[in-house]
Amino acid sequence: MTTSVEAGVEAPKPPAFIDIKPRRGQNGWLSQHVGTAALGGFLGYILGHWLGNFIGSSYPYIANSGQNSLAVLLALLFMVVGWLLGIGALNHPIAKILGREAKGEVEYTGWTRYFRYNLDHKVVGIQYVVGVLIFFFTGGLLAMAIRTELLNPTVHVFSADTYIKIVSEHGTIMMMMASSVVVGPLGNYFVPLMIGSRRMAFPRIEAFSLWTFIAGYFVIFSALAYGGFPTGWTGYAPLQTQAGPGMVSYLFGFAVISVGMMTAGFNLAVTIINYRAPGMTWSRVPVFVWSIIATAALLTLASPVLTAAGLFGLLDKTAQTSFYVTEHGGSSYLWQNLFWFFGHPEVYIMALPGFGIVGEIIPVFTRKPLFAYRIAAAGMIGVALLSFFVWQHHLFQSGIDPDMRPLFMLTTELISIPTGFIFLVGMGTLYRAKIRYEVPMLFCMAVYFNFLIGGISGVFLSDVPVNVTVHGGFFVLSHFHYTIMGGLIFAFFGGLYFWLPKMTGRTMNKKLGLWHFWTMFGFFNLTFFPMFIIGLLGQPRRVFSYARNLQTLNEFSSIAAFFLGASFLIFVANLMWSQFIAPEKAPANPWDSLGLEWQTATPIPHYNFERIPVIMTDPYHYSEVGAPALADFGNGPPVHASSAVAAAIEPEQ
Amino acid sequence: MSDAFKAADKIRISDTPEEREFELRAHIGAIWSGGRLFIGMYTFLLASLVFSYFYLRSSNNGILWRPNHVTAPTAYGWTIYTLTLLAASMAIFGQARLRRGNVSEWQAAIWVGVVAALFALFMQIWEFTAVPFYPGSSGYASTFIGYSVMNILTIFIVAYWLETTVARSHWLVKEFRGVEIQFSKHPSAQSFRANVASMTYFMGFVALSSTLLFAMFYLL
Ligand code: HEM
Ligand SMILES: [Cu+2]
Repeated sequence: MTTSVEAGVEAPKPPAFIDIKPRRGQNGWLSQHVGTAALGGFLGYILGHWLGNFIGSSYPYIANSGQNSLAVLLALLFMVVGWLLGIGALNHPIAKILGREAKGEVEYTGWTRYFRYNLDHKVVGIQYVVGVLIFFFTGGLLAMAIRTELLNPTVHVFSADTYIKIVSEHGTIMMMMASSVVVGPLGNYFVPLMIGSRRMAFPRIEAFSLWTFIAGYFVIFSALAYGGFPTGWTGYAPLQTQAGPGMVSYLFGFAVISVGMMTAGFNLAVTIINYRAPGMTWSRVPVFVWSIIATAALLTLASPVLTAAGLFGLLDKTAQTSFYVTEHGGSSYLWQNLFWFFGHPEVYIMALPGFGIVGEIIPVFTRKPLFAYRIAAAGMIGVALLSFFVWQHHLFQSGIDPDMRPLFMLTTELISIPTGFIFLVGMGTLYRAKIRYEVPMLFCMAVYFNFLIGGISGVFLSDVPVNVTVHGGFFVLSHFHYTIMGGLIFAFFGGLYFWLPKMTGRTMNKKLGLWHFWTMFGFFNLTFFPMFIIGLLGQPRRVFSYARNLQTLNEFSSIAAFFLGASFLIFVANLMWSQFIAPEKAPANPWDSLGLEWQTATPIPHYNFERIPVIMTDPYHYSEVGAPALADFGNGPPVHASSAVAAAIEPEQ
Repeated sequence: MSDAFKAADKIRISDTPEEREFELRAHIGAIWSGGRLFIGMYTFLLASLVFSYFYLRSSNNGILWRPNHVTAPTAYGWTIYTLTLLAASMAIFGQARLRRGNVSEWQAAIWVGVVAALFALFMQIWEFTAVPFYPGSSGYASTFIGYSVMNILTIFIVAYWLETTVARSHWLVKEFRGVEIQFSKHPSAQSFRANVASMTYFMGFVALSSTLLFAMFYLL
């Protein structure tokens, strides 16, 4: 670079942000990788703990209480910083102080690249898959513990105290997982491919989001070591204020996760706005990308509220402020409001990406264009906007001003209109379609089935008189498991079955996939549908005991839950079998999709496209005779994927 | 991992001048929209604090919003606020100089801003030793501590953004001798100017938001 005196675009060695020649990485053990990150985290933890105890010893109220929340907080904080330093996330931010421009992306090779601070969005996507599965299976094991306890109303496996801590840990881990489960893995992997981009806008921020997300796992997991926290995933004060140091893990954990969410959303939003290939107009952007940008808006704007809420809680815990302490001039409602102001947008962070996946997959298997594409896109933006105005429906029974209730009842019912549109777009696509029942398609249809139940139960919940009777009980529990697990998680698995052939070059085994689907679908409904009834019969959430007459239903639900848990073993077996043990090379475009992501070479080269494609139409012209060419890839005539594919599959009509 | 992955090394991508031009425009756009989005995010962060302030103020639980109208040390407040404003305005006035082609004046202005911000940062932390009330003694006291912590973050971002930008300008001038970073079409120079523009815009936001918060916590 030093030789370039000429000022021009043709500089001999272009700066990293436009360069397409990745550097060779050092692969040695002495470079930075997950091992050095773990070391950094460990040392940071020790240092922080020591520092906290050192400071705490000079404050009598800490020294005498036997609980030093400050030491816990500093230990976790330094752990996260040490982890980020160790992995190399802070190398560039530090080099910037000396004025250095970013160096080009390093192209690591071999399997060890998955254990590094890798800037390639495709590697980050796969790292995220592993990350969210770790979250998911940890939370799942805790769920099994919950259902074991609920087998019997009087014979207990855990104490009441341990039980609520298990429930809390389960809920928090799952919510953290769910806020990244699609955006992280599939969003990072496929958004650039779908918009025809060679790169992300901010590859360092993208990798940063991943490694903070993983750090968040350690933080929230540490709660168990600190004796857990008793508040459930919602962390309500005043219980929050009274709880032990495990609460610090909860508050700080959510703060860390919120940073991961913000950074992930930031990078994706900016990428979608600026890196769309020529011709990729807003009316041609795939519906999955629409869902991701709507989600990114929520991630970037709602998560800071969670960060602030967490910060205030941590100050209450460590600096003895009284934000949430009503007796000292604070208010426990303050937490409730801040939490749900974040929390309801969060709910749609957990819904929209699922709709995006479904909208992307069903046209492929029905060979029909996505019905009312524009309405789907508008619905997603509408939902994203409205979701900031409904949060108080979580507080109907909390003692808020009753006059506020009709307002929030109205806004909540309003938001079900765009949600309903998104649903109907799917129905319109399925209408009179010849469906190919492949595994990803089955998952998508299950999303519609489950979300119908989940969404409609939501409309009931938003109705204040109904809410009075079912709030705080199993009905609500069932509602959000139907929407989150039945919607988002089913969509995520559908997306994995659909896109793994592109991501790894190997198809998932269909037989095992079908087993996984039918067991997961069946036992999911058998587990959670009874909970609606249990809820209507009055069983409250988060309590380890219940009325005797509910035992049969609870037993039923528990046993179904164990089978539901087992269905994921089939998934793991399938993953191991078809990706590692007996891999089968996937065809280039196994489902005959028109999506841009399938038109690149497999395996995908480092900068995705040999030429930046020129997009000529939207990717949904299925079964259309004389459909326009999809895109010009610059290496031959414009690709007419549709006609070739349509001719091959389209049955005579 | 797999043979499929090893094959990934074989396809080498080349690029054309048009593609570089495209990437450059996307990059500049990303800095522009990233800067705006960051302001949006930061607004929501600060808004949480503002909401808390007015929420606790109007609840006035236990008549403990602000007994005896306790006030944080105003001398510190004025100093921190003035220094923050100075740092922000250095960026804003500096940019006008840069646009007229005067790099060294811009650099001088930004360095003044960096020093002001670092000093403000120091004062904001040091102020904790002079706070005349217990953090949990009232709603106001609590929100004030929250405000102080957030302001540490804000000023840190101000200092960091100013410093890294001006350091980059020195580096660029040294690295590309003969390139006028204020006019050149060189990609790095364009990227640099886009960054300056986004930074300046953010500094305007900081000037406004710190005025609001300063008034809330020290004057009201
Ligand atoms: C048709 C749209 C929906 C409506 C009208 C709706 C309405 C509601 C209402 C009124 C509540 C409060 C119940 C209570 O606690 O008394 C609630 C709770 C909840 N909803 Fe929904 N909802 C909808 C969709 C969704 C979606 C899509 C998700 C997630 C993907 C979701 C997740 C949740 C969660 C997590 C809770 C409970 C949180 C808790 O108390 O722990 N909802 N919903
Ligand atoms: Cu809600």
